[in-house]
Amino acid sequence: MSTTTPTVSEPATPSPRPSRTEGPLGSRLLRAVLTQRIVLLAILIVVVLVTFMVMDAGDYLTAPYDPDYLAAALINAVPLAMLGLAELLVILSGRGGIDLSVGAIVSLAGMVFGFMYGEWGWPLWIAIIATTAFGALCGALNGFLVSYIGFPALIATLATFYAFKSLAIVINSQRPISTPPIQDLFSISRSVELPVIGRELPNIPLGIFTLLLPTVIVVWLVLARTTYGRRLFAIGTNDVAARWAGLPVRDTRFKAYLYAGAISGLVAVVTVAQFASARPDAGVSGSGMALPAITIAVLGGVAITGGIGRVSGVVLATLLIVWLNAGILLAFVGNEGSQYQLLALGVVLVFAALLNGLTNRRFTGAR
Amino acid sequence: MSVHTDERPDPGLPAGEPPAARPTPRRRVLPSPVSGQELVLLGVIVVLWIVLAFATPAFFTAGSIQPLLVATAPIALVGIGMTIVIITGGIDVSVGAAIMVCAVLTAKLLVDAGLSLLPAVLVSMAVGAVLGLVNGVLIAYGRVHAIIITFGTANLFQWLGLQIFASKTVNGIPQTFDVFGRGVAGRTFGVPHAFLITVVIAALAWWYLRHTAGGRHFYAIGGDANAARLAGIRVQRRVLLAYVITGVLVGLGACFTIAQGTSTLDQSVGSGKELAVIAAVVIGGTSIMGGRGSVLGTLLGALLVQTVSSGVTQLGWNSNLSDLFVGVFIIIAVGADLLRERARRAR
Amino acid sequence: MTPEDPSPADDPAPDAPGVVRLAMTGITKRFGAVRAIREADLTVHAGEVHALVGENGAGKSTMIKIISGAVAADTGRIEFEGAEVSIGSTTDAMALGIATVYQEPQLFPELTVAENIFIGRELRTGGRVDWSGQNSRVVELLQLLGLPERYATVPVGTLSIAEQQQVSIAKALAGDARVLILDEPSAILTDAEIEVLFTVVRRLTASGVSVIYISHRLDELFRIAQRVTVMRDGRTIGTHPIEELTVRSIAELMVGGILSAARGERTVPDGDPVLVLDGLTRTGRFHDVDVQVRRGEIVALYGLVGSGVSEIAACIYGMDQATAGSVRLDGRAIAPRTPQQAQRLGIALLPANRKVEGMFSFQSIAFNVSSGHLTLLSRFGLWMDRARERSVARDLITRLAVKTPSERQAIGAMSGGNAQKVVLARQLVERPQVLVLAEPTQGVDVGAKEEIHRIITELAEQGSAVLVVTSDLPEALRIADRLQVVRGGTTTVEFGPDATQVDVLAAAAGAVDEEGHAA
Repeated sequence: MSTTTPTVSEPATPSPRPSRTEGPLGSRLLRAVLTQRIVLLAILIVVVLVTFMVMDAGDYLTAPYDPDYLAAALINAVPLAMLGLAELLVILSGRGGIDLSVGAIVSLAGMVFGFMYGEWGWPLWIAIIATTAFGALCGALNGFLVSYIGFPALIATLATFYAFKSLAIVINSQRPISTPPIQDLFSISRSVELPVIGRELPNIPLGIFTLLLPTVIVVWLVLARTTYGRRLFAIGTNDVAARWAGLPVRDTRFKAYLYAGAISGLVAVVTVAQFASARPDAGVSGSGMALPAITIAVLGGVAITGGIGRVSGVVLATLLIVWLNAGILLAFVGNEGSQYQLLALGVVLVFAALLNGLTNRRFTGAR
Repeated sequence: MSVHTDERPDPGLPAGEPPAARPTPRRRVLPSPVSGQELVLLGVIVVLWIVLAFATPAFFTAGSIQPLLVATAPIALVGIGMTIVIITGGIDVSVGAAIMVCAVLTAKLLVDAGLSLLPAVLVSMAVGAVLGLVNGVLIAYGRVHAIIITFGTANLFQWLGLQIFASKTVNGIPQTFDVFGRGVAGRTFGVPHAFLITVVIAALAWWYLRHTAGGRHFYAIGGDANAARLAGIRVQRRVLLAYVITGVLVGLGACFTIAQGTSTLDQSVGSGKELAVIAAVVIGGTSIMGGRGSVLGTLLGALLVQTVSSGVTQLGWNSNLSDLFVGVFIIIAVGADLLRERARRAR
Repeated sequence: MTPEDPSPADDPAPDAPGVVRLAMTGITKRFGAVRAIREADLTVHAGEVHALVGENGAGKSTMIKIISGAVAADTGRIEFEGAEVSIGSTTDAMALGIATVYQEPQLFPELTVAENIFIGRELRTGGRVDWSGQNSRVVELLQLLGLPERYATVPVGTLSIAEQQQVSIAKALAGDARVLILDEPSAILTDAEIEVLFTVVRRLTASGVSVIYISHRLDELFRIAQRVTVMRDGRTIGTHPIEELTVRSIAELMVGGILSAARGERTVPDGDPVLVLDGLTRTGRFHDVDVQVRRGEIVALYGLVGSGVSEIAACIYGMDQATAGSVRLDGRAIAPRTPQQAQRLGIALLPANRKVEGMFSFQSIAFNVSSGHLTLLSRFGLWMDRARERSVARDLITRLAVKTPSERQAIGAMSGGNAQKVVLARQLVERPQVLVLAEPTQGVDVGAKEEIHRIITELAEQGSAVLVVTSDLPEALRIADRLQVVRGGTTTVEFGPDATQVDVLAAAAGAVDEEGHAA
């Protein structure tokens, strides 16, 4: 990219890079922190936990920052991590992959779920499957525009963001659906005691087990163990080489958006349960759900250029943000806390992005 | 659209000596000032206006057109900056939050300090410039993709704005900004001043982008930043400037937004505006990949978006439907461009 | 001129008819362990066309990069118009009046021709660009280049590649160039366009501009150049007036005394050809290409950059579609529309541009090897069989002697030769019936090159039909059982295993008539 294609035999190794095992412990640790996003996130989580616990001990917080509180806060991790994984899939697919419409899909699919379960009385599991399928359909529209027509992902998903958002509001004339079956769903978001060892541990929100963990495991398996995962990393790393290697580039990219839509559909169910109501603006109110999800993905070490990213990074980034937010909420009185959450999210994102840029240049020799 | 009067059929090789007389400088030295897409856009707007005029007789009254133009102004104005940013290959999703910061700060100064018109506008623009500078420095020198940085700064700016709001709406804003569009004082020949100012700034920006070296360099950077650097263009400074310009226009746009509302400003100000602005720019034919775009298109794009939303309301439909149309317009505008490009390449 | 003194004098000869404009002495440049330039000298006179020739990898490109400031020399002295200068950047070079036209035009497709020519140094009146001033200058340049005047206001993106190249030349000239470097300008041009180019070059030299002309097409040097400097293995081995040279003698100088390592004794089994290209044509790229490859045979398609040779490979592999003629595999006509289809037919292809078309940089060796064979290395095409993947990768690492501690190593950090072996390994996971190798050893060190050649020979012995598409002549001669020269987009002359480098070079450069080796 930087110069014209060399016709002379290129230098065998441009700059001999120190191997991973060299150097004193300190610099090895530094390199690990800078290059291994997981390590950095783990350290940051510890820092956050220790900081707030110290503040708690010093009575600076409005309520105890204890394991029970941390466990309860995990309820917020469910939609955040799931949408973060959705963004992981599309960003991995490369070519400027991004999905601004996930929040709008959550709104629209939530309304659809509301109709199916709350109004038409469909069985819960059929309604959940149908809602997921509907989300996949919305994602398929994105995938079609991006992969087969060639829209820049930013534009395609901006357009569908508007469209889905508008439909979600119009579909029931701006009214939420909160019939009795929907209200009863709130029980899904309650916390439960783990069997056998649960007595020693705080109660964990049920959604973690019913939706988040399965999604995490499935996405991880897909990325790490299936041929689809291989293809996705391949097209994200080098679209042209993937074509020469005979991989179905378009189909693979299309499916990334489709799967992201399906996950958004599942999140719609979670959100409806959490609010005990299918709200037409569930995924788009305030700064919406897409922006935090993209933030989580980038913070988790997903490269916006595609081909680099891990499920574990997204999960740890979610934990970091959720527990950081939970602490901030206790550190301020009133809704000051929710404002400082914005500050924290912004600072962490800019910091992570600058770090990504720096480590890419320093440690991989890229550009 | 001048005609090539001295067109000569080229015989392959001009023989012998170069012509003694210098060829007469042609009038047309750049491609056509109005692109096909802009003409189509203009056509669509005209058709929509005619249709709306027939559908609702109230549409073509001053009471209906004037608010439309007032509402178009801030989107189009910020869109001018966004056009430049996108031409350089970047994007700025923090403008909505930046509008909020400028608007609430300026509104508070109007209420508390009783600032008069000019200082208030200047303060707002200066604040916007600083916010733009933050974006610009991080993007140009941090070498991180613009969308990530501006997602981050959007959160920061929003925090900042909410801090200034201090959990209260700003009430009793004096009528200092009425000159921008409310009431008779805000109009000349019936056209709201906010819109007039926007058109004037758009004209200046159009001229700047088209006729100055600095303006052309934005296009070069978006086309190929590396080649631009090799050609001696100071890429980082130019990129920085694009975001600062956007910031300044955000500052002015925030004043228009205050003028547009009642005497109260609440915390939803600016929310979602970044997407509306990007939609206007994209519908106007500016390529999100950089290197191509025009302010004229953005102006028309903003006008189209606002016409749709105004039309939907006046037809008595659910006002939220307008977003659906905006989405469809984005798909059509960009899709047409993609197909044209594909046809050109297949040739 | 000092005809019998090929090495440029340290002090410019005062009696030389040409005033020395640029003198480079003792230039060396290393890239890591590779010595790209060793003690090279180059003296360019005012107003001459000075050709710089040499085989791929001889150091021409590095030499012009040094002159144009793109890279800095390690040692050596550069004098410009009599004064010693240091060229630290492209800006320095431009300030001296050294302008370079690269093969790949560095243009902005959305901007007009006039804007491209003046980008970064616009003429201004007041605050605005002086469009009419620029335009009239551009119109002059366009006239000089034989392009229509109206092109001044046309976006560059709408012009043909040849026209874009001419715009690049105009851009170089607009800065009042004293030395103009043309890097293989004729490679992508048609004959008529080359004529225009020559006219332009002659006109420039008449006005005192020095032109350094790099070309592989030796025949054309006789129509344009006054002096020729030959490079070999990073050295300048002599500068000669063109009158003293023939295509053959230039080829001999380029090849030198070094004999390409002899092709090992191989007997090619007879039999029907496996792969047949019959009159294969893709309009605008290549036409009437006829090639036959038998089982166990290695056939080289040798062609210079721009001869259409790489497009032929893409067509066999389903990346492009032919517009006429046919590809036959075992006597059956095939027309793969995608690489997947080609792979299913048993065709594998090693792409020419390793970094862009071959490597998944930040992925592991195993990943790079298995991509493209995911169905084979999985259960039901869904679930990766990681044990199998690992063992396949390890086998190939051993077989291809890839130097790496583990198959989990990322390919991006590996040397060119090792990375190339990994990309080659991908083609060997399922033994292909037909293996097409495009520039198999480009940018690869000598050791790896040897090994890759050995692997290619082995594959042929195991029964694959191998087609090597290359612009590296010693390579073609060394491994091929038969060699076909591609020139002007079509197959021309065929050579057997006993062909000499000079014969083939002369044929490819256009001196077919001198040698009667026609197929």
